[in-house]
Amino acid sequence: MKINNVILQFTAKIVFFMIFFYAVHIFFAGHYTPGGGFVGGLVTASAIVLLIIAFDLKTVQSILPINYIYLIASGLLLALGTAGIAMFTGKPFFTHFFDYFNLPILGKTSLHTAALFDLGVYLVVVGVTMTIIQTIGEDE
Amino acid sequence: MSFQILLNLFLAFLWMFLSSNYSVSRFIIGYLLGILVILALRKFFKSRLYIDQLWAVVKLTILFIKELILANISVLKLVIQPKLQLQPAFFKYDTVLKEEWEITLLSSLITLTPGTVVVHVSDDSKSLFIHVIDSNDIDETIDSIKNSFEKAILEVSRS
Repeated sequence: MKINNVILQFTAKIVFFMIFFYAVHIFFAGHYTPGGGFVGGLVTASAIVLLIIAFDLKTVQSILPINYIYLIASGLLLALGTAGIAMFTGKPFFTHFFDYFNLPILGKTSLHTAALFDLGVYLVVVGVTMTIIQTIGEDE
Repeated sequence: MSFQILLNLFLAFLWMFLSSNYSVSRFIIGYLLGILVILALRKFFKSRLYIDQLWAVVKLTILFIKELILANISVLKLVIQPKLQLQPAFFKYDTVLKEEWEITLLSSLITLTPGTVVVHVSDDSKSLFIHVIDSNDIDETIDSIKNSFEKAILEVSRS
């Protein structure tokens, strides 16, 4: 018995992109305004969960063939690497660097290694949330 | 449709390059000129003009706002009656729309106009099951509303 969920599925397809864009916005807003890697990761995971609710687990896995365990590992590696770079320059562990660069389109932009650390946090949060939900969902 | 938008954007960029002035105002001027060119050469395109389609979307929006206000007033009249004399009912509405987005849009419009709620779409996506708050005299008027919405959506999606 398959129910016709045309309204939910179509709306989920559209809203997924909106939620994902909001997550990216909130991730980059983290330095000066509320937001950051943790909230951005949770919002991204919620967008994928919306897809899982509208379709089903196997479909979403075939659309987004991501192994979330690897995502956790790469996020941890990125965070650790960002923290460890400073040790090679003789500074203490976890020293962050930042500078202002003139990028071609964006103009004067401040690039900070804390953003890379935040990206690691983001990947770990997405990976952990999706792993939990998938392992619970796959339990037949 | 999409080809026309791409052509219009291309003409706008071309105008910017020709005048070697890369500002937003230049781009807008180029875009408007592109609209003029596309309007002048509309016989060359096999599909409709996208401006036409855009106009249909605007008309649908205006129609929706009008219906929203009118339907809210009618529900308000029902609610403030001293004695409730409602006859709630379900009815099946056969639609001619086929695309997913059309059915979703129609269902959303029906649901957002008070007094009616779409509860289910049939498995072959050919009919909607609608709950109506008062079936005494509204059936015909509702059918006319649906025809207006459906007509407007068909107007948008006509190729």
